[in-house]
Amino acid sequence: MRVIPATLVLLVCLAFGSASVCVADAPTMVGQEAPDFTLKALNGANLRLSEFRGQVVLVNFWARWANDTRREMPALNRINATYGRAGLVVLGISIDEDLRRAQDFADSMKVSYPVMFDTGAEIGRDYQLGRLPMTILVDRSGVVRYSHLGYKRGDDRLYLDHIRELLRE
Amino acid sequence: MNRTSRFLSTVAGASWLACACLTAPAARAGLADAAPAAQTTPAPAMTPAPMTQVPATTPAPATPAAPPAQSSAAPPSTPPAAGDAAAPPSGATGDSGDFKTLDQEVQSMKKDVIDLNKDLFVLEEELLFPANTQVAVYVSMDVGTFFALDSVTVKIDNKQVKNYLYTAREADALLKGGVQQIYLGNLKVGKHELVAFFTGKGPVERDYRRGATINFDKGVGAKYLELKISDKVAKHQPEFLIKDWE
Repeated sequence: MRVIPATLVLLVCLAFGSASVCVADAPTMVGQEAPDFTLKALNGANLRLSEFRGQVVLVNFWARWANDTRREMPALNRINATYGRAGLVVLGISIDEDLRRAQDFADSMKVSYPVMFDTGAEIGRDYQLGRLPMTILVDRSGVVRYSHLGYKRGDDRLYLDHIRELLRE
Repeated sequence: MNRTSRFLSTVAGASWLACACLTAPAARAGLADAAPAAQTTPAPAMTPAPMTQVPATTPAPATPAAPPAQSSAAPPSTPPAAGDAAAPPSGATGDSGDFKTLDQEVQSMKKDVIDLNKDLFVLEEELLFPANTQVAVYVSMDVGTFFALDSVTVKIDNKQVKNYLYTAREADALLKGGVQQIYLGNLKVGKHELVAFFTGKGPVERDYRRGATINFDKGVGAKYLELKISDKVAKHQPEFLIKDWE
């Protein structure tokens, strides 16, 4: 009987261990053409990624239940306000299944950029989502140039460096 | 068998052309490099001969061994003065002429590559969607006063084959007379049913969803169906039709 809990603990450790490895070695789309998608935004408009070709696009995948989302959204709001006029497009994609609650969450965060819903998680699959939030930077020619998993304090400065670099190109 | 050999020869042709396109700019760059090298050779080499020979021959004039050969080959006596006056323009025009022909060649090669690409696309389509099973569905829109298109869902034999969301730009393009191929697939010969659902904003900005159905016979030839959205002015309503192009 004592063997079972020990085995369970071992299994859990292995599972968590492998999960962390997966997150660390999560495949990214960097260097590849960004998979195209069309999604309905909160305001009712349909947006297609390929229609922003020629502009730098920041795609942020988020979910209401992902802790870092709450910290990242204000930073993205600021980036959108500052660099929107310089040719940056910020798109938020929620993968929440509960559309209504995700909508309420976006409203409460006063998100200034278009928010879309990938309820079928098809786009998330195309982008090989590893951890949430996930932020992707697409250059003017439609190629994924940077991919950030999660969000921690100071990451917005990193985003800004990358955005400035892509805008200069 | 015949088609396969044609395909292989087309692919071989495409790869050859791609190589040619890649090497052509390199050759051009080589020439551009060779020209300044020839100009930087010592003064005795101011004869017209190497200038005119540079593009046509090997890059020998640019090698260190070349200057003595040039100085020995060209007598530095009487004609060079007249030759110098006449030769540089002729050499320059020769160079620019060569560049022009090279440019033309590159342009024609690019055109050939585009044509080949088109042929490959058609061939691929023929292979993936042979005429005896091919079904193509198109969307067109006329006027659009009473309907703003948002999405179209296509079901064939009760199976959803396409769900397409239209952006404002795409809807505009349809209103300007564009025709979109929304679905291309294969179907067996026989009777089939196609159902299309149109979603959007109807009259007075109200949400609008309508369906249209067509039963069609798939023969041995390709089948073309058109989902047509038009306005019914008398009723102030949009109209959704499916047209079977024989």
